Amino acid sequence: MTLSAMASLWSKISAILPPNEDQFPLQFSDKVESSVVEMLKWSRQQLYHDTVSTSHMLLAQIILDISWERLNTGTWRHVDKEWRRVYSYGCLFKVASLCRNSPTEDDILEAVRTCDMGLLMGAAIMDNILQRIVRILQNKIRKAAKEEAEDDHAKVKRIKPESRLFPVIKEELAVPRLKCPSLENFNRNYLLPLKPVILEGVIDHWPAFNKHFWSIEYLRSLAGCRTVPVEVGSRYTDEDWSQTLLTVNEFIDRYILNRDGVKTVGYLAQHQLFDQIPELKEDICFPDYCCLGDGDEDNITVNAWFGPGGTVSPLHHDPQQNFLAQVVGSKYIRLYSPEDTDKLYPHQSQLLHNTSQVEVENPDTERFPLFAEVPYLECVLHPGDVLFIPVRHWHYVRSLELSFSVSFWWS
Amino acid sequence: MRWFGFGFNAFGQICVQEEAESSSNAANEVKVISPTELSSHGDRSGCRGRICRIRASWSSRACLHLDEESCACLAGFATFISSEFRGCKDAFITESFLTLAFPDRVESWDLQKKEKTPSWTMEIKTQSESSDVNLPLVPGGYVALKPPIYHSLSPRLKAKSLALGAEHSILLTATGVVFTWGMGSHGQLGHGDLTSEEEPRAVEALWGMPMSSVASGGWHSVCISDGGDLYVWGWNERGQLGLPSRGLRKTAQQQQQNSSQQAGASCQEASTSSCEGLQEEQKHEEVFISIQAFPALLDVAPSCEIQTVSCGSRHTAAVTTVGDLYTWGWGDYGQLGHQTLASLDEPQRVEFFKTEQMRVVDVVCGTWNTFAAAVKEEVACT
Repeated sequence: MTLSAMASLWSKISAILPPNEDQFPLQFSDKVESSVVEMLKWSRQQLYHDTVSTSHMLLAQIILDISWERLNTGTWRHVDKEWRRVYSYGCLFKVASLCRNSPTEDDILEAVRTCDMGLLMGAAIMDNILQRIVRILQNKIRKAAKEEAEDDHAKVKRIKPESRLFPVIKEELAVPRLKCPSLENFNRNYLLPLKPVILEGVIDHWPAFNKHFWSIEYLRSLAGCRTVPVEVGSRYTDEDWSQTLLTVNEFIDRYILNRDGVKTVGYLAQHQLFDQIPELKEDICFPDYCCLGDGDEDNITVNAWFGPGGTVSPLHHDPQQNFLAQVVGSKYIRLYSPEDTDKLYPHQSQLLHNTSQVEVENPDTERFPLFAEVPYLECVLHPGDVLFIPVRHWHYVRSLELSFSVSFWWS
Repeated sequence: MRWFGFGFNAFGQICVQEEAESSSNAANEVKVISPTELSSHGDRSGCRGRICRIRASWSSRACLHLDEESCACLAGFATFISSEFRGCKDAFITESFLTLAFPDRVESWDLQKKEKTPSWTMEIKTQSESSDVNLPLVPGGYVALKPPIYHSLSPRLKAKSLALGAEHSILLTATGVVFTWGMGSHGQLGHGDLTSEEEPRAVEALWGMPMSSVASGGWHSVCISDGGDLYVWGWNERGQLGLPSRGLRKTAQQQQQNSSQQAGASCQEASTSSCEGLQEEQKHEEVFISIQAFPALLDVAPSCEIQTVSCGSRHTAAVTTVGDLYTWGWGDYGQLGHQTLASLDEPQRVEFFKTEQMRVVDVVCGTWNTFAAAVKEEVACT
């Protein structure tokens, strides 16, 4: 990238910053101590006055460190939103300091990571300025990446198809399948009686199937440098299960392509990726059937589930209706009715009470004798399939190969 | 006795640079990485005499001068209230409140509101009540970090001293028993689990071992036994327990990778192999401690006894009976005094005082900084 290109980057960013210090808002409730507000004001002052750039970074880091300590005080739910706002300001000041004086490519990547940390852990400030800045940064990176991509266009690798061993679904246990049912039909026969069903042909029009096939290369180009939460370990009920933050590129290299030869499973699970990367949201649509619920589209939670074969979500249930749309690859799913909850041995702890202790495909029949007799439904979900999982229905999910699903939680 | 400070100084709470007085506010040296003597004229106040005790928060420091006429002097952010309080016997400072103990009263100033009077006052009627004041302990209870400022404590606890973490409390009784309560999410209560406790609960693992001193970091707790042993528990995120910390090693590894990346593409080969080497090393490492939910005995140095201990939010500092200062944990602001910004997950002696032929006699940590009192070796011999 040329120097002038970088200079224009800062002019683009400063164009969306308030024109002067007076119009740059720093309003906090008294949850945020005045010493911290003072620090924020110093950072603001430096943003509008030319001083040594190293001290910009230093003050931004102080704000990030002090707010990080507050974000780790008390349970996440009880952290005051004001402190998440302070964290976002810290990210904003850090990004400004990174992009201000002829940033290198590494600086820009660090700025993208910083915006994502703000988006993941902070709260929206200044009309979601971090989201607006990260778009500018990504455009810059994509332009550069395109030039490179044209060079090694021929080298683009496809993922070699894995050997697919699909479980055989017993006909009498199969989840029923319906081709584009009418709203009325779906409502009367499945939604009201809370019966699972697979809807076929209802997402075939998604750009994710037609315009931009969701390949590894496509996800890299759209989101490669973005930071996302990744679950590491086979099941979230395991002792050694943990969560970490990685860029999409790191996640793909390590857990999809397995470049480091790592044996553990990594799963980009239950993440609102589409809010983080609005371009990706344009490739999907809300299923029409969601309109049968009470809420409007703002109340629908859209999560991404992206991972290699072998990811497992232990048997659990969720407090909302769910449409699980399969975009790439396939998943084996088992469903149990909420009526049988007492035979599914939920965990005792508050945190995991919505999760069964039973390993569904390898049950310990001595510890969980009643489990074997519980009736269930099962299916293999293929690209284009949408599974309706009624509220509080127990479900177990295992990916059979590289898989990308989108879930819609609605009420 | 001379006091030295190191670590976070953005508010000038350790030292104020001469030229900074006139120019803009943010001109203080943010990180003081080498122990720097506190000068009383740097306090901008008329307070003179020996500093006997220090209390520090994230942004401020209070110094108590207890000889001649006693007085408390402030440095750093909180100076807007007043730079000195005459007649003050003890002080306790947090980001929200400055609490001062006088012979006849305890008063708390709300640092959020720029008011001319204290926001909370407690009268002290008798001599015996006055001797009960060892802030944050006050007669009948203690002052907290956040409002409501006053909390009562059962008199049966016979509290001798109290330390407050970000969201937990650790109390030492007159008979040397340790009680903890509050949030337990990071093992900071030492009861062996991660649950919270509403009421003070004795740390059973320490039963039968009388303790002489307690201290609390943001999410960790420490105490010293009568025999001079140091016990630690809670969160080890930055190595603040002095036990192997995965988080800290990971950061160090990343920094190493970054620096080798910056060294140029030609080194790429070397950087990957060194990274593999590190991973290999990690595999051989026995266990990393992220959370220590029971008290663990920490060997600070071979055959040493600990005399004083204090904690910052994520670091720990301990003084041995022979006058060595050891520090460990988070070091990003220079709070460990080793003249680097590195974090450490094992205790390391602060060589500055050895080099200066000084014996450390006391240590007090602010949130991100450390203050140590030292005397010349010769003085100690006389």
